Amino acid sequence: MGRMLENASKKLLKENGIPAPNHWVIHKSDEIQALHLKKPCVLKALVPVGKRGKAGAIKFADSVQEAQEKTEELLKMTVRNYEVNRVLLEEKLEIAEEWYVSITIDPKKQMPVIIATTEGGVEVEDLVKEAPEKVVIYHVEPFSKLYSYQAKEIWSKLGVTGKPLIQATSVLCGLYDIFLKYDCYILEINPLVLTKDQQVMAAASVMGIDDSALFRQPELAGQVESGSERSWRPLTELEKAMVRVNDADYRGTARYTEMDGGSIGFMCGGGGGSLLSFDALTFLGAQPANYTETGGNPSEEKVYGLTKGILSKEGVKGLFVAHNITNNTQIDVMARGIVKAVQELGVNLDEFPIVVREAGVNDEEGKREFESAGITYYGEEVTIEQAAAEMVKKMEGVI
Amino acid sequence: MAILIDQNTRMVIQGITGREAQMVVDHTLAYGTRIYAGVTPGKGGQNVLGVPVYDTVWEAVKKQNVNASLVVVPPAFALDAVLEAIDNGIKLIVVTTENIPQLDSVRMLYEARKKNVVIIGPNTVGIINPKDNVKMGSIGGDRPERCFVPGNVGVISRSGGMTAETSWMVKRAGFGVTTSVGIGGDSFIGSTIKDLLALFEEDEETKAVVTFSEPGTSFEEDAAQFLKEGGFTKPLISYVAGRFTESMPEGTVFGHAGAMISGNTGRPSLKMKALQDAGAHVIERYDDVISVLKTVLGERVGGVK
Repeated sequence: MGRMLENASKKLLKENGIPAPNHWVIHKSDEIQALHLKKPCVLKALVPVGKRGKAGAIKFADSVQEAQEKTEELLKMTVRNYEVNRVLLEEKLEIAEEWYVSITIDPKKQMPVIIATTEGGVEVEDLVKEAPEKVVIYHVEPFSKLYSYQAKEIWSKLGVTGKPLIQATSVLCGLYDIFLKYDCYILEINPLVLTKDQQVMAAASVMGIDDSALFRQPELAGQVESGSERSWRPLTELEKAMVRVNDADYRGTARYTEMDGGSIGFMCGGGGGSLLSFDALTFLGAQPANYTETGGNPSEEKVYGLTKGILSKEGVKGLFVAHNITNNTQIDVMARGIVKAVQELGVNLDEFPIVVREAGVNDEEGKREFESAGITYYGEEVTIEQAAAEMVKKMEGVI
Repeated sequence: MAILIDQNTRMVIQGITGREAQMVVDHTLAYGTRIYAGVTPGKGGQNVLGVPVYDTVWEAVKKQNVNASLVVVPPAFALDAVLEAIDNGIKLIVVTTENIPQLDSVRMLYEARKKNVVIIGPNTVGIINPKDNVKMGSIGGDRPERCFVPGNVGVISRSGGMTAETSWMVKRAGFGVTTSVGIGGDSFIGSTIKDLLALFEEDEETKAVVTFSEPGTSFEEDAAQFLKEGGFTKPLISYVAGRFTESMPEGTVFGHAGAMISGNTGRPSLKMKALQDAGAHVIERYDDVISVLKTVLGERVGGVK
């Protein structure tokens, strides 16, 4: 899943006929000139996270000087771990009413769902609980577009009438087209503004693209941070290096997430097997230095690159290698990649414990590879939790 | 008895000539499961290890009377393949494809619900019934008998790899499985835990079910509700992995695509509580599968083998 920055989503909205305020991307405060301030403006930190208002990352200005000062302030901020490097400058709308609309996929009903309200400035989740009559929740048949009459009904039920009803209907149909056209997993307009001159405009937009669908969205190339929803902060240098290791070869997957601190290098596999292995270590009070997930029969090069990365993190004093019994991942290939990395880095196994629990395809050969390198190997006769306990015991000698 | 697949299953593999499918075909035939047909557009008339290939599912149904489809096609073609199977009257479709666009998954699942078609997956390792030596999917790899032996336990897992590991824990405890099902790691899947519990309830040979779960979705909460309503009355042993993720910042995904916590939805601790309150045997440590199975099943099947 990947978010788009607001300047990119606004551009797409406008290209597809959704009214939105004029906007500019500002890198330095002195770029702001009189032409930007024909009207009062809004300044927003351009970062891929929500709830920027609460974080103080949205400001208002009436003059060039004020806009420059506030831009300076924003450029010094870090919003939920993201440094602010750019600011979105927008014309401030003359607001009569603030509304809300979002389109997502309802996980329970497995259908696209539109959530709309004309109550502005509130958390819609709270409103659904406290005043459900003020919110319309509308499911759309997945093979269909949104028809005008459906959009009209949604707004009419919320009390919208007259010219704004016609406008809001057209905007919502347009938004739904965009949701389908660009394979969004979320398209949220908050607020959707009714201006004093009766225009319906998208004042702020959140657009997230399903990265599984990027293959059919060439237009969005480079605009979506693929996998940005997997992390709570920008990728670290080591994480970026591991993405390159993964991308270098189509065979198998290798995901790496760096933890704060930790002493055990974590080289585990299988989506569920990795979760279980990490739980097993932390349950025993140990601290893994990273989270890893390999699988899908990775190549020796990929396993080697990943292992090297895991071992390169400062403070790592041991390595835990575990996997659920594999259906297709070849244990001998895993073994060769891991052994190569360990030997190349000159790891002294007397001071740096390594415990392996790998079973499945070609595990007899894998066992030979690990054992001939002097590495403690367990197969299916030992459970993942038992192997984790062995790892923690061995670590007591080195921390 | 088993659920979903047995000796009457007549499997077609959609995408049979692809790289992924070749290995599956090889392992499946070696296991003793018959594959009646394959479908790859433009390759009709060929064969893969003796399995006849057709251009359309329509032809495979007409010539081989197939009634279940294993879909092993790339993500861009998955929706079309599933719609083709549904349109030709196939009532069980196992979708192995990973990384299918969400909107495509939602569409195929919607169509399947309308036509009463059972979908396993997407992003599933498959299903296995060791008593009849029938499997659909890559489940079990080259040696299915390593983890899957016939017995009286049902296994449901949200992780493909842990389907094997969990079935092996059942074997280690001295039992075997009626059917093991990997339900798929995506957020949007066909059959959920609850749906399969309903099938295991009906299956006389199944005396208990073990589930392996992960963070994200409300599958466990729904299963708990189903237990409370009396829909499943056999012993249920549940493990929920990924408790460490609760102390990570929200929105972070570890593991499968479906493993996302949002607010209180998807938290392992709440899943465990819901299942516990509904009367399931919720285990703190995964290895406890063995001792708990021995306790709850020991009497029912006449002692540990």
